[in-house]
Amino acid sequence: MNDVESHNDLAVHFEGVGKRYHHFALEKINLELPTGSIMGFIGPNGAGKSTTIRILMGLLHQDAGAVRVLGRNMPDEQAAAKMDIGFVSEDMRLYGAAPLRWHMEFVRSIYPRWDQPYAEELLRRFDLKPEQKIKGLSHGQRVKAALLLALARRPRLLVLDEPTTGLDPVARHEVLAELMAVLADEQRTILFSSHNTLDVEQISDQITFIDRGRIIDSDDKEIFLDRWRRLRLQLPPDGAVPKLPGVIEVGGSGRLPVLTTNRFEPAMVYACNELGATVQAVDTMTLEEIFVANVQRKRTQEEREEVTV
Amino acid sequence: MNFTMVRRLILKDWYLQRLPIALSLLGGVAAMAVLVLGGKAGFTLGLILLVTVLVASSAISTTNLTVLERKEQTLPFVMSLPISFREYTAAKLIVILVVFLIPWSVAMGASFAVLALSPTHSQGLIPYVAIMGSEMLMSTCFIAAVGLITESQGWTITAVMIGNVAINGIGYWVAHIEGVSQYMFGPVMRWTPAAGALLFAEYASIALMLGGTFLVQSRKKDFL
Amino acid sequence: MHSDIVISQSDGRPMYQQIMEQIKQRVAVGEWARGAEIPSIRQLAVALQVSVITVKRAYLELEREGVILTQHGKGSIVAPDPGLGQRLYDEELDAHIEQVARLGALLGLGPDQLASRVQEATDQFIAARLAVQGADAARTTKEQE
Repeated sequence: MNDVESHNDLAVHFEGVGKRYHHFALEKINLELPTGSIMGFIGPNGAGKSTTIRILMGLLHQDAGAVRVLGRNMPDEQAAAKMDIGFVSEDMRLYGAAPLRWHMEFVRSIYPRWDQPYAEELLRRFDLKPEQKIKGLSHGQRVKAALLLALARRPRLLVLDEPTTGLDPVARHEVLAELMAVLADEQRTILFSSHNTLDVEQISDQITFIDRGRIIDSDDKEIFLDRWRRLRLQLPPDGAVPKLPGVIEVGGSGRLPVLTTNRFEPAMVYACNELGATVQAVDTMTLEEIFVANVQRKRTQEEREEVTV
Repeated sequence: MNFTMVRRLILKDWYLQRLPIALSLLGGVAAMAVLVLGGKAGFTLGLILLVTVLVASSAISTTNLTVLERKEQTLPFVMSLPISFREYTAAKLIVILVVFLIPWSVAMGASFAVLALSPTHSQGLIPYVAIMGSEMLMSTCFIAAVGLITESQGWTITAVMIGNVAINGIGYWVAHIEGVSQYMFGPVMRWTPAAGALLFAEYASIALMLGGTFLVQSRKKDFL
Repeated sequence: MHSDIVISQSDGRPMYQQIMEQIKQRVAVGEWARGAEIPSIRQLAVALQVSVITVKRAYLELEREGVILTQHGKGSIVAPDPGLGQRLYDEELDAHIEQVARLGALLGLGPDQLASRVQEATDQFIAARLAVQGADAARTTKEQE
């Protein structure tokens, strides 16, 4: 199987990627994003989301590891790769003195797949006036303008760094709708980073958690939602908290512990009952709760490792 | 190297800088009018004005074209286009040179024409004007190199100031070099080996600076 | 046809279950006619602004329950006959029983031995089922509080 074939189904492939800065290091980043899916990239501030995304775009060179985007090596083949990638980041600005229409003409002159009717439709949906100068737009309008320029080219891969941050709920809804419309074509892929776990939970197929420069978890969204649970137990007067595999956290009070697990199976309920603890409730967890618990789990683990070293 | 993209980038910057470019052309035309029509006194005055316009416009446009992309945070937008830093640098260098060379070559041409054709002026000045004109080109390349490589407003402004001081310092120094000063105010144009060597050194420096900028930029690993 | 499905973000249940329930309701009242074509997984995902993987899951579960049928390479339809799901399972069971008989003969096992092994398997399956139901019931009780 030649190189192109083996990576044909992965739009993005990071293998052992690392980048070192003075006060921060990205390490052992492994990422696999299949064509046609959408991945949400979640992490606290400073976790390395933007750094990872810039390495993906070839804007930063990795110190270690291999990066392939749409079958091309980054950063060496970045010019060719960027022909098919639409990029919008939170710290990106358009030229304030020029109108939106100039930007549209400029982008259109570069990309053959520019879809003018779609661009006009987006202008309507996003409620943007092309004659307006960028500096006269509000923050939300600027984000939508940048998204329009990326979407109208119909790129094979959309890379978005915080696309809905700072948008009002209506604008957020519009943007999510357009992102989902992209996925109607199963040859197109989206990677987006966000703080907004609701957005990620709603539209992502895969979710990757990153914290302190490392990937702490990456899987199908439905698997996350299936495997993470909070079990509310009631112990008998002299009972002990049952020792179950995959329990990350034990909260609650003495006789009413709450176990957080990331490897839930129905048999656990059975097991708890066998060990004398009554299961009062099995709660699902929102992505936000999973995110926080996951980060805390990893940090506790790292602290323990530091102590033993 | 993708020349189509380089061309588009050049046109983009040309559009965005159209106001400063227009103003500098206007100033240049006004200065030239004084130079050509003002007789002997006008020639000197016009020359000073011309130098001022050229120096100021090169400082402004070069700073605009280099440091501003980072300051205005438009660099991610540009670098998300299908280019590498090679195309970016090539486009910037070309635009900066073109924006400077247009008024500069007209000014040089007009000055040479006036010196050569008008009976009241000394043709001996021609080598000196050539050397100083080239010095301004060298200064522009220097500012462009610093601006592109450091992407820092502080360093670029320092480079502008160095350029300003240099033009005065070098102007004084060259005017007192034997090979130039002898014939400067004479009626006949004389190219001495010293003058020739100076000119050669200037253009060699220009080539080195441009080539060096390109090399350093191509090696850059992090654009943001 | 499919834009009338509304997903609530504040509903505590997983999204795929909400989708399943609303589809089942529409089939039950006849809004989605028996045997009619239903949107592809991607189409529905885009219309609901929900991830493809969630809709995929909903469709898989619905198929398992016999509410819809997916024809390979041709998309999905509402089961023309809710009993059809039943009949398909029946046929599947018959095929498996045939296999059991064949393998039993190969291994030299008599019908009693086969029967007891089937009993064992059924017991284990029911036990696991009960555990799931217990968890679901516990959650429902919590919700009713």
